[in-house]
Amino acid sequence: MITTQVGRMLDEEHRSNLELLERVERAVGRAPESTPDLAALLGRFAHAMEHDIDRHFRFEEEVLFPRLAEAGDGAMAALLAEEHQAIRDVTEEMLPLVQDMAEGRGDEESWDRLRLAALELVERQVAHIQKETMALLPLLEDLLDAETDGQLALDYAATA
Amino acid sequence: MSTAGAFLGGASGRLLPASLPLRFFGAAVAYHLLAWLVLAVSSRDALPLDGGLGPPLAALHLLTLGVFGMTALGAAAQLLPVATRQAPVGEHALRAVWWLYTPGVAVLAWGMHSARPPWIALGAAAVMLPLAAWTVLVARHLVGARGMPGVLAHAWSALACLVLVLVTALLLVAGWLGWPAPGRQSLLPLHLLVGPFGFMGLLALGLSYILVPMFALAVPPPERTQLASCVLVVAGLLLAAASVLAPGVPLLQPLAWSAGSTGVLLHLYLMRQALATGMRQDLGRSFVLVKSAWAALLLALVLAGVLWSGLPLPHARAWLALALVAWLLGMVLGFLQRILPFLAALHAAAGRRRGPTASSLTHERALRLHIACHFAALALLALAIGLGSATFAQLGAFTGLAGACAFAVFYLHVLRRLRAARP
Repeated sequence: MITTQVGRMLDEEHRSNLELLERVERAVGRAPESTPDLAALLGRFAHAMEHDIDRHFRFEEEVLFPRLAEAGDGAMAALLAEEHQAIRDVTEEMLPLVQDMAEGRGDEESWDRLRLAALELVERQVAHIQKETMALLPLLEDLLDAETDGQLALDYAATA
Repeated sequence: MSTAGAFLGGASGRLLPASLPLRFFGAAVAYHLLAWLVLAVSSRDALPLDGGLGPPLAALHLLTLGVFGMTALGAAAQLLPVATRQAPVGEHALRAVWWLYTPGVAVLAWGMHSARPPWIALGAAAVMLPLAAWTVLVARHLVGARGMPGVLAHAWSALACLVLVLVTALLLVAGWLGWPAPGRQSLLPLHLLVGPFGFMGLLALGLSYILVPMFALAVPPPERTQLASCVLVVAGLLLAAASVLAPGVPLLQPLAWSAGSTGVLLHLYLMRQALATGMRQDLGRSFVLVKSAWAALLLALVLAGVLWSGLPLPHARAWLALALVAWLLGMVLGFLQRILPFLAALHAAAGRRRGPTASSLTHERALRLHIACHFAALALLALAIGLGSATFAQLGAFTGLAGACAFAVFYLHVLRRLRAARP
């Protein structure tokens, strides 16, 4: 049970992100080639990864992970931050390919690369959310008192 | 050491070094293979599983101690720190437990297979000592636990049952050695109750509250309902134990069955809710095994009820034994095929900017073959019981052996990939 406001907000974002990830996984996993619908879906996906996830990641890295480290779980914070970086790397690889597809410049090879990158991104993101749901979100209860929790939740909401 | 490496190996982390859980899981994979092998080469006379010494009893203990027990030791050591928000139990002690327990299971099984009480005594000592040490280690760990009261209640209850398993096992071995001991007619039912339903069952139920929401990305079930399920299952076990010790007292068995079944149904309802509301809907092949295990658990409860009610169902004991094996084997192998690549990917990420994904460490073809063989083996064994056919029993055992080989290929592949991925 997630009891903090910050935890609930992050969990909510995980949920909506996962919904998109599942759609991408289903659509891309079975598609032999790109279609306009697929390209549009991947465009939305790339946008979500680039903007929404980056906001989410930055909040965790700048606000939560330092607190986690102070509380003696710095190694866990470092692992989660490394996973953020891996997800950013795959997203960076994916973005030009999505752009090519959207502009009709993609060929069979770039579709294959895009498909593999998308599936890798989905898997990394799902595994990362699993770890955060299991380890980070329950810990927030110990890391944040009610006042700090409320203030951080307001601050985070303001960046949306 | 990299930051991730510090997490993986550091005392403040909640992950054990990779070699620890993997050695328990590896031994479980090996004993899975050995159990089917023993059954395959002896299944011509394996059908009357009457609890007497011989190959069937050896195969059964290779499964219960070698596969279920071994996995339980490794999984609980790795997963309980997540639930309790504490550092894992002592690494050296866990290593010592593995070094004594692993050959102990083999010696015990050999003693049972060849009906040699001295070997049984030696194996039993080598199994019971590490199990007792593990009980103390985990109990000490649970004393300082915070969070997840439902999981903790299951863990404590499972530990209490493990103590009873050890006591009843000790007395059964004493009987085989010709030493003074209470009669087998009450010891054996107690042992069969607190082993699969108590220790392994309660641990499986409790760890499911961590694993199922984790893989399905669901909100963990309400703690109160988890606790209610635990209380009902424990009440069922206590009443069932009382019915063994005081066979003349009326209503104990129906009450035990009602309480236990209600507890299990509540647990399955919580699992269904977690799967239905989880963010991940497609959980793949591993959850086909887990769901089949839940179906087998329901079947086992029905069969236990039939046995107690005295309804004339031919081969009811054998059906119950098969249902119990299908339940625990499905749970263990279903979870293992998810946990192994997940854990390996986590460890392989140490010191790397972009470690391998879990799917890149797994072996899909081997797992596909395993699941086909697993279900075919259970179906053939069911046919063997129904028809009283030793040929089907042998066919089922060889099919199970093929599946166990496929699972071992998957395990070795994960290990190889993990080794190759590490810096």
